[in-house]
Amino acid sequence: MGDDHDSGNRAGDLDVQSHIEDVSVKLSRTATWSGIETKASYGPDDIADLDYTRDLGDPGQFPYTRGAYPQMYRSRMWTLRNIVGYGSPEDTREGIERALRMGSAGINVVLDTLSQEAIDPDHPLLSADAGQEGCSLPTLYDLEVLLEGIDVTKTDVAWHSTMMIYPLVVALATKQDKDLSELQGSHMPDHLQLRLGGWGEAIVPTALGHRTTVDCIEYSARHSPRWALGCPQAYDIRERGLSAAGEIAVGMAIINQTVQDLMARGIGVDQVAPSLAWVSTSEIDFFEEIAKFRALRRIWARTMKDRFGAEDPRSLRLRVACHTAGRALVYPQPLNNLTRGAIQSMAALLGGVQSVETCTYDEPISIPTEEARELATRTQQILAHEVGAARTADPLGGSYYVESLTNQVEAEALTQLDKIEEIGLIKAIEDGTIESWMDEYNYQLKHELDRGERVIVGVNRFVPEQASPPKRFSFEPARMQAHIQRFKERKAARDQESLKKHIDMLYRVARRRENSHQAMVDALIAGASIGEVWGTVRAANDLPYDPFRAIESPFRYPVL
Amino acid sequence: MSTSKIRCLLAMLGTDVHSKGIRTLARLLRDHGVEVIYLGEHNTADGVVNAAIAEDVDVIGLSYSTATYLHYTGKLLDRMNAVGLGDVAVMLGGLIHPEDEPVLREMGVKGVFGPGSTTAQVVEFLAQVTGKPTTAYASRPDR
Repeated sequence: MGDDHDSGNRAGDLDVQSHIEDVSVKLSRTATWSGIETKASYGPDDIADLDYTRDLGDPGQFPYTRGAYPQMYRSRMWTLRNIVGYGSPEDTREGIERALRMGSAGINVVLDTLSQEAIDPDHPLLSADAGQEGCSLPTLYDLEVLLEGIDVTKTDVAWHSTMMIYPLVVALATKQDKDLSELQGSHMPDHLQLRLGGWGEAIVPTALGHRTTVDCIEYSARHSPRWALGCPQAYDIRERGLSAAGEIAVGMAIINQTVQDLMARGIGVDQVAPSLAWVSTSEIDFFEEIAKFRALRRIWARTMKDRFGAEDPRSLRLRVACHTAGRALVYPQPLNNLTRGAIQSMAALLGGVQSVETCTYDEPISIPTEEARELATRTQQILAHEVGAARTADPLGGSYYVESLTNQVEAEALTQLDKIEEIGLIKAIEDGTIESWMDEYNYQLKHELDRGERVIVGVNRFVPEQASPPKRFSFEPARMQAHIQRFKERKAARDQESLKKHIDMLYRVARRRENSHQAMVDALIAGASIGEVWGTVRAANDLPYDPFRAIESPFRYPVL
Repeated sequence: MSTSKIRCLLAMLGTDVHSKGIRTLARLLRDHGVEVIYLGEHNTADGVVNAAIAEDVDVIGLSYSTATYLHYTGKLLDRMNAVGLGDVAVMLGGLIHPEDEPVLREMGVKGVFGPGSTTAQVVEFLAQVTGKPTTAYASRPDR
């Protein structure tokens, strides 16, 4: 922890010389945050093999290293996003409206931890988690409340969630007689990311999770081609414990497996790749992150072309949705996180991403306070309007250093990707290989911090002397209680015969290992909750209906 | 004073998935000669209590990144007291807000390790509440 010079000195006690030496800004590290060693300067020799047309191309040209679009932010400004979600659908609806008034350009909703695990809010052991960290959204009715007056074929709602949200939105559109082919918005169908991100084998078994991802994307490709798919959801995997190169490696492994499995079902690469967007992070190492975004687009373009034979330029040019790194933000002296968020956002923009959510400075404390949310929005407005971050595409393209770093991140990513694919992605997840890499990364990082080889301001150096407890977000729980009460009452009032019929059908389809998405949608329209729908899919896959084994299925499934 | 190893169960309750910290702590504690029984995420109070009995642990460590820690910790302590596990020390880590620390202590939590806590502090706590020895790093990792 902090050394003696950082605190606790009385007047006249200070060893001025050593104090000055200690607090002076010194180079504490020459490797990137991910561990790539760097040199004092770079020159033409470092990129002697670089071929402009082959390796870079103009912005909007293969291999899209320099950006997805020729005019970049002149033609399409990045989308300033703000994630909202807490409590009941009514609470979250209020939060959305406040974010829109503040200057947020899109509606971004995060679901509570229960909904994200497809568990109902009346679960006997877990009710306390309802409305925590996001919006509780257990039924189609709750989605209707949340989106009242919003047309899902006209308004882009981005869902920061994986399990069950797509079937819910399709159910809403179907019930409202909307044309599914016009469905707008996005979600993150990547279940393998959940498996790696702490959901674990108990909540999302690897094989079932991956099959559900492929089912979901197949259904969307066939029925809602305008719906965007945030896949891979590389943000959580990176946060969990990966380097910049590791983010690309694991994300590409997921994409390769998913596209390959979709092609086996008759979905062509050009039918699905244009709908995909990479969900990424922007970490604290400014240059390395810029290099990552550039390397990522190049690897994506070459993979789609060479490995999958894509021809549509929209398949080849990768769009990136970025949320700045929460793990880089620290608890001590949290206002410093405003600086971190600004620099991370800047890296994302110079790296050419399509949307940015700047993490709020109070991320390590609680879910965002209104003040923190507003400041995160202002950060992006300052970058957009004052700093000139949006002016010119790929402003660091051609920099000896950035091009060299791009090559290094790319090479390391491809090496790691080969390792995963040698083992096989599903096996590398099931047998814990990838998790062990993450554990190793986190363990090494902790040791470097303990040994002072890596400095995080406020954490292991420059520790603030006094810290008053930070403000935290809270919301009135009364609505949440009413929401759970309503959930129970509506459940009791359903047409049991229709419900049973649709649950039966879902069970049969899932049991046959067919794509169960239409059956899930139909069951939701019949009033089933997400816990009942997913529990039925689990049961059909010989898993306990409730992963916590506290409740039995209320349904009697057909014997097949 | 016993010379046997400290046995520490590490677990998370409820639907919190942020287990990165507790996974890293498991390895760091093993480096210090602690026997770690790692249950991971998604446990119930009953599950933790049963494991604590079966594994005869000295300490239970819980990690939280969501605001429900008062609720879940209370449930666990109730269960522990009901089955006579009151002598097993409970420690908490993760995003614990300083304002909640007195409440947690009042409930019977012995160690609170919020943001900024160090491995050394946790190790010292374990040695103190168990009266059993810990070790310096068995091996220092190098990259």
